[in-house]
Amino acid sequence: MERRVVITACSSITPIGRTKEEILHNLVHGISGVKALREDGLLSPYIHSKVFGTIDYPIVYDFKRQHRKTMGPVAYYACQVAKEVIEGAGLDQAFVTSGRLGVAFGSTHGSPTVQRDIYRTFFGASRTEFSTIGAVDYLKSMVHTTAVNITKMFGITGRVISSCTACTTSSQSIGYGYEAIKYGMQDAMLCGGADEYDTTTVAVFDNLLACSTAFNDSPHLTPRPFDTKRDGLVVGEGAGAVMLEEYGYARKRGAPVLAEVIGFACNNNGGDLILPNLNGIRDTIRIGLKDAKLNADEMDFISAHATGTKMGDVIEAQAIYDVYGNLPGVVGLKSYMGHTMGSCGAIETIIAIYLMEEGFIAPTLNLDEIDERCAMINHVAKLREHPIRVATIQNFAFGGVNTSLIIKKMP
Amino acid sequence: MTRDEIITQVLVFFRKEFEIENPGLDDNLREKHGFDSIDAIELLLKIEKMLGYELTQEEKKQAMDIRTINQICYYIESLARTRPVLPSSGASFI
Repeated sequence: MERRVVITACSSITPIGRTKEEILHNLVHGISGVKALREDGLLSPYIHSKVFGTIDYPIVYDFKRQHRKTMGPVAYYACQVAKEVIEGAGLDQAFVTSGRLGVAFGSTHGSPTVQRDIYRTFFGASRTEFSTIGAVDYLKSMVHTTAVNITKMFGITGRVISSCTACTTSSQSIGYGYEAIKYGMQDAMLCGGADEYDTTTVAVFDNLLACSTAFNDSPHLTPRPFDTKRDGLVVGEGAGAVMLEEYGYARKRGAPVLAEVIGFACNNNGGDLILPNLNGIRDTIRIGLKDAKLNADEMDFISAHATGTKMGDVIEAQAIYDVYGNLPGVVGLKSYMGHTMGSCGAIETIIAIYLMEEGFIAPTLNLDEIDERCAMINHVAKLREHPIRVATIQNFAFGGVNTSLIIKKMP
Repeated sequence: MTRDEIITQVLVFFRKEFEIENPGLDDNLREKHGFDSIDAIELLLKIEKMLGYELTQEEKKQAMDIRTINQICYYIESLARTRPVLPSSGASFI
């Protein structure tokens, strides 16, 4: 049995805003959410990259203490977007708690802020005879903290999937959620990802010489996917969630339908854990198309992973060209907000839906001079009025994990 | 510390940390106010700070059956009788 799967609500917390209007405004006006890296009193002085995709606007949470007590910052982000998609989809409490709704939600590594506090207890000067690790620190920091804080807050009793594959976390969430509905295991899945402000991730990429360092004095000019002056990725924070539902159920209850998920693929490069791999990426794109039962020439828009690294962008451009040629418009949305890690797949999917709804393609920011090694594909360097019927969201992660999601506009 | 002083401090703590306003002294905290095992562990940490010393595992386990504010106060009184409150502790939750 194969069932159709639709997206009935979406919500995000991004460095370029919360609402569709804010996000589109920043896309249209080329406004970046990359700012100076905040001081953390620990690692930031030693990190060469001084830029970060930053959430610097207030978010009002109205969570009860009963729920707050097991939440670190990443779970606040996750539960807020989860709340908004449950409300946006209009699902009633009886359905939410029925077991027919599951959760697929993850983050790169739980809450590093809370983990850091735990380590302070062991290594800090403030050690006392009292245990200073809170009873709930594990619940706040564990890698599946986002998924289970969501289930707790809303009483969700369906299956739980909590991917933690860094950059592919939330595209896996959506993909595995889609499969759970498609094959009849759940009728709806709340899917997404989140990552909080964290300098350990920046430090790791910095040590690998993968972070941008040449634009520390002008953060908005980096990252620069596919541009000749790109010098690495910019880590960021954020959250994104979508509600997936079985099409028949969504239609029957008159739910808003934003788009249909028609394909998903996930594979591994089967080797190196860091280097991008042309064969692996090309394969995942092809498997995604096969799952969607689409020909390559039916694709209108590609949200590329496009982190702005020297090698990654070249390999991705080549893979796109090999499968799609130079027809679909290609955009690197990370150019606006940096790499929001566990949330990037969901955020990019949500932005793809917004562009689909509005009928234009926002350009890759900072793409002033296209690297000739990336020039074979159809870059969108200026805002382009263009109807999008089918879009794909590509993400690739450390560990050699690749994903391809394909969504389609509903008639 | 008198029983009244302990009750006052416990109630202040419940309001500030657990957002539980003026519970009845014999209310079942779990059933009526959602006070769960996680909260109980947090409460023990506060009691340790109040008394100025670390509780033994046995003493902590005894607290797991506590259900009411009155029982919490009795528990603190019992501990204080066994091992008096240290002057340096400030004898306060807060």
